[in-house]
Amino acid sequence: MLDAFEVLTTSGVVVWSRTYAPVSPAIVNNFIADTFIEEKNGSIAPTDSQSAATNPAYRSDQHTLKWTFVKELGLIFVVVYRSLLHLSWVDKLVDNIKTIFVQLYGDQLTKPHTTLVECHSFDEYFDQQLRELDRSSNIGTISPIEEEEVPSNGQQSAPGLTYRGRTLNGGGAGTQDPVSTDSTPIPTPDASRPSTPGNLVVAKAGPVAKMSRRARKAQNSSSAPVSSGDESLTSSRQKKGAKATKKGRKWNAEGFADEEDDSLQLDYSQPNRASESETEAVGRSSALDAVESSTWGSRSKGKFILKDLGDEVHDILASAEAEKAEKAARAESKTGLLGSGVNTISGLFRNIVGGKTLTKADLESAMKGMEDHLLRKNVAREAAVRLCESVEKELVGVKTGNFESINAKIHSAMESSLTKMLTPTSSLDLLREIDSITSPPVTSLRKARPYVISIVGVNGVGKSTNLSKICFFLLQNKYKVLIAAGDTFRSGAVEQLAVHVRNLKELTAREGGQVELYQKGYGKDAAAVAKDAVSHAAQEGYDVVLIDTAGRRHNDQRLMSSLEKFAKFAQPDKILMVGEALVGTDSVAQARNFNAAFGSERALDGFIISKCDTVGDMVGTLVSLVHATNVPVVFVGVGQHYSDLRNFSVKWAVGKLLSSN
Amino acid sequence: MTPSIPLVIIGILIILGGPLIFHLVLASSSSYTVPPSVLLLGPDNSGKTSLMTLFERGANPSKTHTSQIAHSVELNASTDSDTKASFRNYDDATGTHTKFLLVDTPGHGKLRNVSMGKLARTEKVKAVVFMVDAAALGEQETIAPTAAYLYDVLLFLQKRASSKGKDKASIPVLIAANKMDLFTALPAAMVKSHLEVELSRIRASRSKGLLDSGVGIDDVGSEEQDGWLGEYGSDKFTFQQMNEFDIDIDVLAGSVLTEEPGADKWWWWIAQRVVG
Ligand SMILES: Nc1nc2c(ncn2[C@@H]2O[C@H](COP(=O)(O)OP(=O)(O)OP(=O)(O)O)[C@@H](O)[C@H]2O)c(=O)[nH]1
Ligand SMILES: [Mg+2]
Repeated sequence: MLDAFEVLTTSGVVVWSRTYAPVSPAIVNNFIADTFIEEKNGSIAPTDSQSAATNPAYRSDQHTLKWTFVKELGLIFVVVYRSLLHLSWVDKLVDNIKTIFVQLYGDQLTKPHTTLVECHSFDEYFDQQLRELDRSSNIGTISPIEEEEVPSNGQQSAPGLTYRGRTLNGGGAGTQDPVSTDSTPIPTPDASRPSTPGNLVVAKAGPVAKMSRRARKAQNSSSAPVSSGDESLTSSRQKKGAKATKKGRKWNAEGFADEEDDSLQLDYSQPNRASESETEAVGRSSALDAVESSTWGSRSKGKFILKDLGDEVHDILASAEAEKAEKAARAESKTGLLGSGVNTISGLFRNIVGGKTLTKADLESAMKGMEDHLLRKNVAREAAVRLCESVEKELVGVKTGNFESINAKIHSAMESSLTKMLTPTSSLDLLREIDSITSPPVTSLRKARPYVISIVGVNGVGKSTNLSKICFFLLQNKYKVLIAAGDTFRSGAVEQLAVHVRNLKELTAREGGQVELYQKGYGKDAAAVAKDAVSHAAQEGYDVVLIDTAGRRHNDQRLMSSLEKFAKFAQPDKILMVGEALVGTDSVAQARNFNAAFGSERALDGFIISKCDTVGDMVGTLVSLVHATNVPVVFVGVGQHYSDLRNFSVKWAVGKLLSSN
Repeated sequence: MTPSIPLVIIGILIILGGPLIFHLVLASSSSYTVPPSVLLLGPDNSGKTSLMTLFERGANPSKTHTSQIAHSVELNASTDSDTKASFRNYDDATGTHTKFLLVDTPGHGKLRNVSMGKLARTEKVKAVVFMVDAAALGEQETIAPTAAYLYDVLLFLQKRASSKGKDKASIPVLIAANKMDLFTALPAAMVKSHLEVELSRIRASRSKGLLDSGVGIDDVGSEEQDGWLGEYGSDKFTFQQMNEFDIDIDVLAGSVLTEEPGADKWWWWIAQRVVG
């Protein structure tokens, strides 16, 4: 069985959900962050309305998430279930639910300045689909553990009836605008309003007070019982003709027979309430229920409506299917008619004036130009294609602004795509991090130890030089640094480092920095040397250990595999890879192989891009590296001096990449 | 009858220009009445979206997940009387109301420039609510990025205030310490002091840090003072120091999910800035 099904917006609001087993919100949060924001594994931005079967399933510890996405509405449909289960019908469920939901409530989602979506009646549609698709298990007996929806609305119309009411909803039952929200029946504000009469004291002493603390803590769960309790109260007040009735009627007057709605509503919420509330509440509500049903409605009526619902759902699905086919057909014929006069002319006009809805064909030539532009900036083809695809996906179906040309639109979309790609999830404040390791807060119970940075990369990219630059920066800030000669392979490497150390000592003697070289000559196991260096540093009270490593070809199996042992032995806090700004097509493979070389537990933490001063605006390599690994660029080298190291600025890079030359 | 040349020209002008002017009129009229805005900033998972839905619904915040885009809702603020101190009266139609937009932003680090862009580009920003998760603020992993984000926001506001330009009203900041219902939550006074300590630290390390790429060595002299948050050269940063730039900072505790302590204090704070 499913654990949960959620319909949420890209702005982060869950508009409808059904929960069968508690699912930590972190699971869906991680899914969103990994799939939509960080685009992990180089996966390209999610495609619009693709079937759940084609979208890659997201797996967390024990759960599998299947999903689909409707771009123009910013709606995500996601189902969560145990990975142990193999539910063949889940993809179909997600797709169908998407179709039905969009059909029923899509227009509500396009309204600005609100997050309210009146979709309470969707419960019935969902149940119908679930029952139909999952014939193997009998849903009838399983009821959701709690209703975690948007505040349940007391006077909401009954499920089957909402279909008829749909046009009403769309036509503006006035539920969107916060001004008129007072006509939206939200029960709880009523209940907590101090001015409301004594009747409500009972309500509060009811489910809310009796509820276990645990249940209250569980987020939102409080909302369900409170509202269901109030729901029944509201309707009872209604019968008495109390003040609140006016409110209910006001809203319903725009709809239809309010009494009928109420009876049905109570019928439907009854099973849920019974399963979750305290006996007292159940007693009260079922007593009420008896009154209600004997007065106005009967279950058979509800069933009858349910049957209708099945037909309706099939209609929706069938018409959506037909629409899709028609669209495809139209698209085909369109390509044939593309040259037709009026279309082209008005298209051209709009192109200049703006207000044009972009299609793939409109974008094609401009996108090609953008791709070539990126390639000229030395971005690897793979990365350029990915960026252009995501920009294209973002723009298809979008209206251009006033007097905005397609090129300008693409330019700004590419700017935001690049910015998003290059911006790290958390920015690095190196000094701050070193401090927290070398002098941890007393409360943390951690022991002070030296901070370990190791530098890796292929031959000749400037590992030792950049290591020295970092060292110079640390020395200026009065840290005590140990440089470990981890390149025990290439002759001359140790001597080269010794020269750097001597220079650095001279340069920073006045400022109070201290630096030493730790070396064990050549031929020793680099991982063991690194480990010794770290323990030596800990004994001698060094703040930072900088470990140089041997340059290696990324396709040299033997040398690459030794990196895993190195990471285990030296336990570096940061592994930084030096990449040359000049490197060409190889960059993507280089970055991937290095990122994978440290085993499953460890990956690169950042890139240093060296020799940026030699390439002018052609800084595309850094895009390729980040594209390949999702690892951020932290420093860039901009010259020959020890002081020529810079923090990486995303704005600077994006500016260079998009500048025309 | 042959039309005169001026007539033809006028005719052509009307035919071509008419739609254009109409277009412009339509376009400008929509942006004519921009309501004032209040921005909701803060790191991810601090409860921004929950708060927005709470204010909109009057009770029972919606369930939420990580936001990817900024989103605003239209609300009404009123400071007529003390009974209106609660957002639950948002639908009370008596008295005067000021319509405003509450703009929720994504907190995820990768989308930081979206949120900072909102701060830079939104018109008529009356106030900034910077939300923090007080229950997690005791942990290094949370306070470090939280303070770094706050540092950027405050530095932006400071630069905005000191840049002499159009007569821009200063933007007050509310630090909303959320999740007070959880037992790990730090009280408001501690949220304040923790943030101040962390901001001092960030300020110190930024002043010693590497330059950003693209910033030349020559620019340093002028940059230094500009990049310093609060009173230049002071040892410890305090929110008080922002007064010098006309930026008021308040720290108020609350909770979106429970009635106690609730979100009324925040609402009242916002209402006063919007109306006032
Ligand atoms: N215990 C408790 N949890 C809260 C409170 N407010 C919000 N939460 C929870 O915190 C989580 C995050 O809330 P959101 O509103 O989505 O956070 P956000 O700031 O919008 O996060 P981003 O969209 O990622 O920036 C949700 O699971 C909320 O239920 C509160 O007052 N107390
Ligand atoms: Mg959010």
